[in-house]
Amino acid sequence: MKSLISLSAAVFTLLCSTLLATSLFPVPTIAADNAQQIEVPFGIRHYDIGQAKNFSLSDIDGEEFELNSTRGKWVFLHFWASWCGPCREEMPAIQQLADTMQDDLHIVMVNTAEDEDTIFEFLGTIGVELNSLMDSDGLITEEWKPRGLPTSFLIDPQGKVKYQAIGGREWGETLYIDFIDKLIKQSN
Amino acid sequence: MMMGLFPIMLVVSATQAMQPIIIKTADMELGLLPRSPDQIISFYEARGFPRSMQDVLRKQCFITTGISNHSNKKIWLDLESWEFHQHGKPIKRYHRNEWKQRWQKMDIPMSKQSTFRWTLIPETLDYLPGEHEGGNVILPFTEGYFSLKATFKTGDDKQGKVITITTDKLYCAEDADEAASEDAK
Repeated sequence: MKSLISLSAAVFTLLCSTLLATSLFPVPTIAADNAQQIEVPFGIRHYDIGQAKNFSLSDIDGEEFELNSTRGKWVFLHFWASWCGPCREEMPAIQQLADTMQDDLHIVMVNTAEDEDTIFEFLGTIGVELNSLMDSDGLITEEWKPRGLPTSFLIDPQGKVKYQAIGGREWGETLYIDFIDKLIKQSN
Repeated sequence: MMMGLFPIMLVVSATQAMQPIIIKTADMELGLLPRSPDQIISFYEARGFPRSMQDVLRKQCFITTGISNHSNKKIWLDLESWEFHQHGKPIKRYHRNEWKQRWQKMDIPMSKQSTFRWTLIPETLDYLPGEHEGGNVILPFTEGYFSLKATFKTGDDKQGKVITITTDKLYCAEDADEAASEDAK
């Protein structure tokens, strides 16, 4: 029965989530970032909304995390859920980003409204080593108002939100790695 | 990373006979896929939604909706401007706030309310060039075909041309066994 439910869920997930928050245009194009002279890859937009709203959540290991503790480095803040197909697709790319940027970038994953077992099982199944915070009641996600799931934000070392990604992106591609690398180097 | 509507068609054809209605214009694409109660409930059940919530949702008509902006201008979604009709009579779409109120009255856990909200298409959204977002539209269950007239404003200031998309081929999907028993009558 459990496997039947899982299969049904998987099918529905694929059905439903293909319509959620992903771009039909994966071919990157470039737009000029006049303010900082850094080219912004397709699928990422300026999102100058000021200071990032602080929050405090536990991760799947029970460790408490506060967003404000990340000051001093760029932050990649990512909202996701296991039932969202594009979120599942994007995870390996985020792992690549984490592996590549390592000490230069905080990767902050926030799961929206799922329980610890679901998150743990999901991350294990797709084979990534990313930890995730648990927004168990979904309220932090609501406050951040992502356009859909998945959504990623880039926050500068001063704690200001600067960019928002539209839908899932291939974060492991050179295009995005270079972009984030330039942001980091510019702020150093 | 790219996932369009085509994969949906493949999976649906393998499970149920439902086909998405895909309407393309020069500027955008609108995909509409009716969901059967079993499909809907299997998803929410697997997410641990309480039985009381499932019972309510099983009686509704779910249309999974995807919108893609193929233009180089903003396209504005405003569900208030969407008109559903059958035999000249309007079919009232459920606003997400109605669900919020209902779930609150039923004391549904916040986590389930949140997940439910994320499965709905936003009431309003400015679709950026190249963007695709979607989610469910929920209507009262209605037998037979009905129509949709969906209008979209365009441009940063919403002063661009208005895109109007219509279809009279919408329907509420039934479970396979329900449909079979109807056919046998």
